[in-house]
Amino acid sequence: MKTVPQIQEISSAMRASWVSVPGWLRWGALIGLVQIFAMLTYAPLGISTAYPQLVGYILDRLSPGFAQQQLYLQEIGAKIGWEVMEVLGVFLGALLAHWLSRRGSANPMAGGASAVCIRGFEGSPSRRWLRAFAGGFLILFGARLANGCTTGHMLSGIAQMAVSGFLFGAVAFATGLLAARLLFREPIGGATS
Amino acid sequence: MSEKWLGLITGLVFGYALYRAGFFQCGIVHRGLWLRDFTMLKVMLTAIVVGLVGSTALDALMPGAIHFKVKSLHLWGIIAGAAVFGLGMALAGYCPGTVLVGAAGGRKEGIAALVGALTGTVAFIYAYPLLKPVFFEVANFGKVTLPSLTGLPAVAVALVLAAVLAGVVGMLSRIERTRANQTTRDKEVHSAINN
Repeated sequence: MKTVPQIQEISSAMRASWVSVPGWLRWGALIGLVQIFAMLTYAPLGISTAYPQLVGYILDRLSPGFAQQQLYLQEIGAKIGWEVMEVLGVFLGALLAHWLSRRGSANPMAGGASAVCIRGFEGSPSRRWLRAFAGGFLILFGARLANGCTTGHMLSGIAQMAVSGFLFGAVAFATGLLAARLLFREPIGGATS
Repeated sequence: MSEKWLGLITGLVFGYALYRAGFFQCGIVHRGLWLRDFTMLKVMLTAIVVGLVGSTALDALMPGAIHFKVKSLHLWGIIAGAAVFGLGMALAGYCPGTVLVGAAGGRKEGIAALVGALTGTVAFIYAYPLLKPVFFEVANFGKVTLPSLTGLPAVAVALVLAAVLAGVVGMLSRIERTRANQTTRDKEVHSAINN
């Protein structure tokens, strides 16, 4: 029989060991479990298909017949289904995490917003927003051209050992590494964890 | 439970985890692409290893329980799309999933990138008829996976791949530790000289 103080000691040691699990391992493993849940209940995780589905749905409401005129929307469907609900869930889940962290009950991992400057884009906020806008445009255009993004091709594709996933990951990272070296100054500061 | 609710629940936990892992800030990607911080890579690789091992094991134990959805290998679309995507990721510091997390976190760059993402979506819808013949129909090899390509059993390939990816995570952690020790030692040397 263990005494009460011993049990308390064990439980506090267990809690300490959970907290000492590094953030990347905790949240990375949770994303892996979400992936298994998604594959058990519907399909592997995917994000970027939902963008044209949702945008197509909204534009079709605003101008009826839009979805029928566009070949792409005929193929993927301008509909609110599992994919769009998943994407809305990602936004709401992040909103919840943000709200909790502002209340102080769950602190996200530390680290500055952006410790890097891009040549030609430093200084004024409007130039930084322009850079973010251009980047945002390209990630969606590129993801649709490749028929998947970081989630669909890498998290899900590589987890299914798909050759398309390995190819997408290799090319996207190679381009990203090269672009970062050419466009950015070296970032200040080390690891965020 | 209906499909829509399952999607919402899946997304809620996914978005929460992405925020807590730090993906609401574009700096995590910028430092990652400069190879100064491996958090981005370690989170992704951990998620892939758990998903890979879990789905392969469940599929072997309960055939039919796992819904696989392998994307086809349309060579030119994937190469061109991934290159455009990589440039965009470097510029914005977000991908289509984390841009939502950045915007939800109130980051102005995240909101600007989300507006860009929606604009890029509309542009793609209009451009698709022109792009389809070259990027989707030529050199499309269908749903190719490592087991189908090599003819080896999926469980064996999955175990080897999971071990390799876990090995990479371990290597990245070791590099980070070495760097941290180096920084501490440099500081000690500096303070010794200054004193």
